[in-house]
Amino acid sequence: MARVYVSTVVNARNDRVWARVRDFNGLPNWHPAIAESRIEGGDPADKIGCVRDFRLRNGDRIREKLLGLSDYEMFCTYSILESPMGVENYVATLRLTPVTDGDQTFLEWTAEFDCAPERETELVGNIGAGVFQGGFDALKRAFGG
Amino acid sequence: MPHIVRSTIVNAPTDTVWNVLRDFNGHDRWHPAVATSAIERAQAADKIGCVRRFKLKDGSELREQLLALSDLEQTFSYCLLDTPIPMFNYVAHVRLLPVTDGDRTFWQWESRFTTRPDDRDGITQMVAEQMYQAGFEAVRRHLKETA
Repeated sequence: MARVYVSTVVNARNDRVWARVRDFNGLPNWHPAIAESRIEGGDPADKIGCVRDFRLRNGDRIREKLLGLSDYEMFCTYSILESPMGVENYVATLRLTPVTDGDQTFLEWTAEFDCAPERETELVGNIGAGVFQGGFDALKRAFGG
Repeated sequence: MPHIVRSTIVNAPTDTVWNVLRDFNGHDRWHPAVATSAIERAQAADKIGCVRRFKLKDGSELREQLLALSDLEQTFSYCLLDTPIPMFNYVAHVRLLPVTDGDRTFWQWESRFTTRPDDRDGITQMVAEQMYQAGFEAVRRHLKETA
């Protein structure tokens, strides 16, 4: 099973960062790679089990299911139902932890999935350095560091 | 039950920070509040259950027991056995996590304990500031000096 782990520090309190990322339908509001998103069946975006159907700027379409969301622990876990990436059993978690020293936020974004062995390095790089770090960079810009 | 959580970012890889922190008998080398440290009964400092005896700079003594240590997770836990202040059931956890963005370290230090209601705020403040926050600053200095 392939594993991706990317983490960063954003220069804002964790409640402010969480307010920006907790919306399961809100990727286009903060992630530069995402063009549009909707929740299927008219479900609220914080209903566990809801499905988001979103489109990347490169045209790819992905459907993901919300598996867990905690405002108390500040994490969001989801799985991929459908994507052109060639991954199976993909489960990812975005987690926020306060850095009390300086009122910053520590963000971790992890994913585990199965894929063809020869594609593992490429996929781990695309997801980690590309999608996850790309989102982190946008958050750092939005919060000034 | 008071719950203290303090965390910081250190500008060094987790392995470097862990090298300093994993020595349960090494806090006298970097923590400003600790004058001397010794492990009782000549046990190894990474033997689970070992007891360290601190003499603090103010002359008081305390004993703490290692409850868990993981090089894989870069975490350790310990409890207080004897202390001159009215602090009971104190269990503390230290954990390091990598900040891949910049190869830095997230370091969290947390604990729970019980005490008399009148002492609660004073002890919470003392542990959070003089032990944990001061410990963060001290390790930063220590890493600079030994770099």
